[in-house]
Amino acid sequence: MLQQLLVNGFILGSVYSMMALGFALIYNTTHIFHIAYAGVYIVSPYLFMACVAMVGLNPVLSFVIALLLSVIVSLSIERIAYYPLEKRRSPSTVIMISSLACMTIIINVIAMIFGNETKIINSSISGSLVINDLIITRPQYIQLSVSLFIIAGIIALINRTGIGIATRALSNNKLLCQVMGLKVYRFRLLLFALSGFIAAVGGLLIAYDVGIDPYVGMSMLLVSIVAVIIGGVGNFYGPILGGFILGILQALTIGFFSSRWQNVVTFALLIIFLLLRPQGLLGEKQRMA
Amino acid sequence: MNYVMHLVVMINIYIVLTTSSNLLVGMTNLLSLGQAAFYGLGAYFVVLGLVVLHLPFLPTLLLAMLLNAGFGLLLALPSIRLKGDYFVFATLGFQLITYTILYNWVSLTRGPYGVPGIPAPKLLGVLEISGLVQYCILSLVLAFLVILVFNRLIKSPFGRVLKGIREDELSVLSLGRNVTMYKIEVFVITCAFITISGFLYATYVTYIDPTSFTLDESIFILSALLIGGTGNLKGPIVGAVFVVLLPEVIRFLGLPEGIAANLRQIIYGFFLLVLMYFRPQGIAGNYQVK
Repeated sequence: MLQQLLVNGFILGSVYSMMALGFALIYNTTHIFHIAYAGVYIVSPYLFMACVAMVGLNPVLSFVIALLLSVIVSLSIERIAYYPLEKRRSPSTVIMISSLACMTIIINVIAMIFGNETKIINSSISGSLVINDLIITRPQYIQLSVSLFIIAGIIALINRTGIGIATRALSNNKLLCQVMGLKVYRFRLLLFALSGFIAAVGGLLIAYDVGIDPYVGMSMLLVSIVAVIIGGVGNFYGPILGGFILGILQALTIGFFSSRWQNVVTFALLIIFLLLRPQGLLGEKQRMA
Repeated sequence: MNYVMHLVVMINIYIVLTTSSNLLVGMTNLLSLGQAAFYGLGAYFVVLGLVVLHLPFLPTLLLAMLLNAGFGLLLALPSIRLKGDYFVFATLGFQLITYTILYNWVSLTRGPYGVPGIPAPKLLGVLEISGLVQYCILSLVLAFLVILVFNRLIKSPFGRVLKGIREDELSVLSLGRNVTMYKIEVFVITCAFITISGFLYATYVTYIDPTSFTLDESIFILSALLIGGTGNLKGPIVGAVFVVLLPEVIRFLGLPEGIAANLRQIIYGFFLLVLMYFRPQGIAGNYQVK
C-alpha cells in the first residue's frame, strides 16, 4: 500500500517537476510571474483532441501540431502581453496582472469553443505493468519516462551548452548580460518557447491519463509555483526537488486522507515554507521582507 | 424596476468589496488574492450569528466583523512581512485553504450543500428588512457608510502614512513609523469591512455555498478594482459598476447562457490587458500598482 502510494507520488512528482521547471525557466530569468502558463498548459490537449477527433489527422501529426501551436501561443503571450510592458518599464505587478488577463482570455476562449465539461482523450483501459505488488498503468509509465527524459534534457541544456550558460547568467544579472553583448531578447524568446513546449507536453501527459477541462490549468500552475518556491527560486534543481516532494506528499494525502485535502496540504506546506524558509530548500538566502 | 433594484444591490455589494480592497491594494500596495476568502468567511460568520445564535442585525454584523478581523490578523501576522510576489502567494494559499475547508468540512459548514433559508435581518428588533425595496435602501446605506469611512480614513493622518508606505516604504520606516504595524492594521480593517459585503450577500440571496467564494472570485474582485482604478474613492466605485453592468449588457445580445459567461470573462481579460498597457492606474484611479 505505502509502496504503491510512493510510486504513484513519484510518477505524479515527475510531471510536477517538469512543469515547475518550465515555470522556473521563466521566473528565474525574467522575473515575470507567468500566470498565463496555466493557459498554455491546456491549449495542447484541446488542440490534440481537435486534430484527432474533429479533423481526423493521425495522432503523431496531431501531437506535433499541438506542441507547435502551444509554443506559438507561449511566444505570442510574451510578444503581446509582456514585451510591450517590459519596454515601458512597468512594475512587475502590472505584468503579473496582464498575465492573469491572458490566462483568463485563453481559458475562456477554449471553454467557449470546446465547452466547460471534462473531455476524455484516452478512454481505453490499456495494459498495466505489474512488478511484484506494484501496479503501474500505461499512462503512468508514459508520464514517468517522458517527464524524466525532458527534465534530463533541460538539465543537460542548462549545464552543458552555451544556451544554458546564457540562461544561468541571465538569471543572475540581466543588465550585465546586456553589457556583455548577449542578445537578451532572443534568449527570452527561446526560454518562452521552451516553457511553452514543456507546458504542452505536461498538459498532454496529464490529459492522457485523467482527461481535461478548461480549468485544470490553474491547479497545475499553483502546484508549479509551490514547487518552485519550496525548491528554491533562482536555482534550476530546486523546482525538480519541489515537484517530487509535492507529488509524493499529494499521493500520501490521497492514500491516507482523501483527495479533497490535497490543496490544503500543498498550501499549508507553502505557508510553512514562506514563514520558516522563504528562500526554499536549495535557494540562496536573500532578504524577503 | 425589480431588475434595476437587483442590480443596485449587486453593485453595492461589489462597491463594498472593491472599496475595502482598495485600502489594501491601492493605498498600501499590498496585492491580495485572498479577498474572496474573507468575503466568504464573512458570509459564513453572518450565518453563524443569524441562524445559529439567533442574534439581531447589528450584533450579528459586529460579531462577524470582529471574527473576520481576527482571521485577518491570523493571516497578516505571519505573512505581512513578505515582500511582493511572496505576499501574493501567502494570500493565495489562504484563499485555497479556506475554500477547501468551507467545501469539505461538511459537519461544520454543510459543505457543498450550502446553507439555505438565511433569515432577513431585523433592524432594531422590529423593522424586518425583507422586500427588494428595503434591501436596496439597506445596501445603499451600508455602501455609503463604507465609502464615508474610507473617505475619512484616506484623508486622515493614518491614510497619509499609508500613502507614504505605498510610495516609499523605506523613507516611512526611516521617519520612525512602524510600517509592519500599519500594514497589519490595514489588513485587519480591510477584512472587517469586507464582512459587510458578505453580510449583504448572505442575507440578500438567503443561501450561501462555498462555490461563490473561489479563487476565481478573488481574481474577479481584484480585476474589478484594477479596471476601475486604485488609490482614490472613485476608482473602486467605477470598477464595481462596470463589472456588474457589463454582463447585463451582454445578456441583451441574446447569446446562450454558457457562451455569455465565457464571453464576459474574455471581455474582462481583454479590458485588463488593454488597461495595463495604456492606463495601469485603471479607468478612474490615480495610482498605479507597483
